[in-house]
Amino acid sequence: MAAKKLRRARLSQELCERLSRHQITTCQDFLCLSLLDLMKVTGQSYGNVQKLLCKVSLACAPKMQTAYEMKVRRAVNPSSAFLSTSLHGLDKVLHGGVPCGSLTEITSPPGCGKTQFCIMMSVLATLPISMGGLNGAVIYIDTESAFSAERLVEIAGNRFPAYFDSDEKLFSMTCSVYLYRELTCGSVLKRIKSLEEEIISKKVKLIIIDSVASVVRKEFDTKLQGNLTERSNFLARGASLLKYLAEEFSIPVILTNQITTRLSNGPAIQADLVSPADDLSLSEVLDSSLQSHPLVRLPKNRLESSRILLEICLAGASGGRKRESGCVTAALGNTWSHSVNTRLILQYHDLPTRQIRVAKSPVAPFSTFFYTIEKSGFVLQDGKDQTNLTWEGTSPALQNIKVRNTALKDLLPDAALPRTTDETPSNASSLQKGKCNLD
Amino acid sequence: MQRDVGSLPLAPALRARLVAAGFQTAQEVLETGPCGLSKDSLLSPEFWLQCTTALGSFENLIVSSRNIEIGISKEEALEALQVVRQECHSDATRTAGAPGTSRKCTALELLEQEQAQGFIITFCSALDNVLGGGVQLTKITEICGAPGVGKTQLCMQLAVDVQIPECFGGLAGEAVFIDTEGSFMVDRVVDIAAACVQHCQLIAEAHQEEDHLKALETFSLESILSHIYYFRCRDYTELLAEVYLLPDFLSEHSKVRLVVIDGIAFPFRHDFEDLSLRTRLLNGLAQQLIIIANDHKAAVVLTNQMTTRIGQSQSTLVPALGESWGHAATVRLIFHWDNNQRLATLYKSPSQKESTIPYHITPHGFRDVQPPAVTQNPEGTEMNPRKRLRREEEK
Repeated sequence: MAAKKLRRARLSQELCERLSRHQITTCQDFLCLSLLDLMKVTGQSYGNVQKLLCKVSLACAPKMQTAYEMKVRRAVNPSSAFLSTSLHGLDKVLHGGVPCGSLTEITSPPGCGKTQFCIMMSVLATLPISMGGLNGAVIYIDTESAFSAERLVEIAGNRFPAYFDSDEKLFSMTCSVYLYRELTCGSVLKRIKSLEEEIISKKVKLIIIDSVASVVRKEFDTKLQGNLTERSNFLARGASLLKYLAEEFSIPVILTNQITTRLSNGPAIQADLVSPADDLSLSEVLDSSLQSHPLVRLPKNRLESSRILLEICLAGASGGRKRESGCVTAALGNTWSHSVNTRLILQYHDLPTRQIRVAKSPVAPFSTFFYTIEKSGFVLQDGKDQTNLTWEGTSPALQNIKVRNTALKDLLPDAALPRTTDETPSNASSLQKGKCNLD
Repeated sequence: MQRDVGSLPLAPALRARLVAAGFQTAQEVLETGPCGLSKDSLLSPEFWLQCTTALGSFENLIVSSRNIEIGISKEEALEALQVVRQECHSDATRTAGAPGTSRKCTALELLEQEQAQGFIITFCSALDNVLGGGVQLTKITEICGAPGVGKTQLCMQLAVDVQIPECFGGLAGEAVFIDTEGSFMVDRVVDIAAACVQHCQLIAEAHQEEDHLKALETFSLESILSHIYYFRCRDYTELLAEVYLLPDFLSEHSKVRLVVIDGIAFPFRHDFEDLSLRTRLLNGLAQQLIIIANDHKAAVVLTNQMTTRIGQSQSTLVPALGESWGHAATVRLIFHWDNNQRLATLYKSPSQKESTIPYHITPHGFRDVQPPAVTQNPEGTEMNPRKRLRREEEK
């Protein structure tokens, strides 16, 4: 809308030519000028310039709709309003599921199930509308190379065995999940910009970006001056593009985020340019704590396991940073928390149970549910108190997230692969491969 | 009348020509008239006749002769004169002190106006008290807060509350909701509106007055939703365009008493390399909103984000968009968290004291933390309608 050319705003030809001599070609340029500038540039009187402004504004302004019309439209086509997560309690609280037309963020410590959730939602989006899906394709932008097609098929087969009874159905489902591997911020942004045509041609009904945080934190070191604003700019631009796509096509967008440590004691560490309210790059805290940790010799399967090490350090083992009391919260800062519309936090409880919390939502109160990760994906624990609705919560940007608190001996498993009949999610996808390697 | 020609709101080229032709004050221009806006012609009548036949009509000759002398056409001259006359007339009324369309009145008149006009209640009596009765009309109120604290919830609540009929203590108005962030969820508004209707029904049952029941017939869920006019602006260009068109829209829908812009910060916080342009645009927006608020007797509510200010020893959250934006709003509320409790602080107000109160967001909307104590308050009649609402508040 901003880039709309003035010619299409029904201004006269000579006026457009005259304006283009002053480098004013789009509506945005026109509306950014003050009235006096406009008078000078167009050579018209005050009253005329106001009429021109009205004309250009009419060309740019959004259409009006009453709330009633919106409600009627949603009632007529309920599948266009939410994507059910197939977790009954969560759906009820969220008034139907993941909302269409807005951004939903999943934040969790590593290994809690973000990628599992995304894979599960991909399966759900391809289901027909009668089963609660959106009957469309999925665009999955993977920045961590964590997507596993085997897991996708496993979840589909185990969660809806009645529907996916033949190989063909599984095959067609996997055909509708389009995976893009992007490894830099620039390429992610470029990909998002190119999505518009793909959404129309492939009939996409869900966009997943897993994860935003990893690619942003790799490239923007907030200790360096200026990087913080650049990072916020990048995130804001990405968020507004995604919001535009979400609303234009009425589809849900799911993003995943990581965690960071928020120190409450001021910037006692070397980062004097970084305030506690912004996140530290995990890498610099990680490096120093890894030096002193005995387990550093273990081969790491993924970057995630090194993060688990970090959490052990933070949770109580000796570490260089122990003096500051820190709490673990969602990464990417305050502005990003403003940009997303819904925030779901996954956190650890007593293993293998985990918690999913609704931390920010325009329609849902704060609530928590317990779940485990099974072969069929997420399974809500019905046994626990189902009415976990609480009115207490706190700022979604500062919500304390429980990290994994296991003793050191449980970590050795990389070599031994014990008793895990139900997969520990930290290696869920690589577990398949892991098993093959070690057997 | 003695206004300098250079300051008239004419087209710049026209202005330049008038000045070059020697006109100095508006009075001179008015006295000359359209035909005399050229000097005396030095051409002989015969020449004129020849030129007439050549040019095809006398009109064309006059036009071209005038063009030669001063370079403006008859139509331009007429238009210029009309503008000048209008300017001088409004100048004269201003200097003569006639009320007319000017914005001059005594403080007594203002006091009567302020006492007569209503407030938009928020259903949280503590917040209403802190604000002096609720959100005031003809003023800009800004709500700043951390993400997820309830700014959009309050905006949706106000959009419903402005429509409460007058017999229940409301304004019976309509609402314009300009959304830049996409957080407006119709289902939530349905919940809030249903709770509000139920509340009014309880009052009507308790009091059994006729006008209550009559008002309730028109105050239903459908009517509430139909009177919320929703605009979704995706970037600042659309926002600017919409605010330009808002006065016309409000003139057509004269019952609108509330304009909400949810997220004035979001479109201005990215992709702005030129910060001075941003300040200028924001100031322009603020000016236009003040004019809208005054002319149409509406309340303007804006929501703002918080940003981190990195200080010496620690960082604080401050409202976004910079220091100069702080001057735009008349009343400023900051919503923040204190562990698990949401708090609202009145940060800036011309008439009320700074204070902090807790509030809740319930499935019914924006509410107090506890039900307020029922007291018989023998203050002016303005308080009573709101008292009635509070007595029946369910929790």
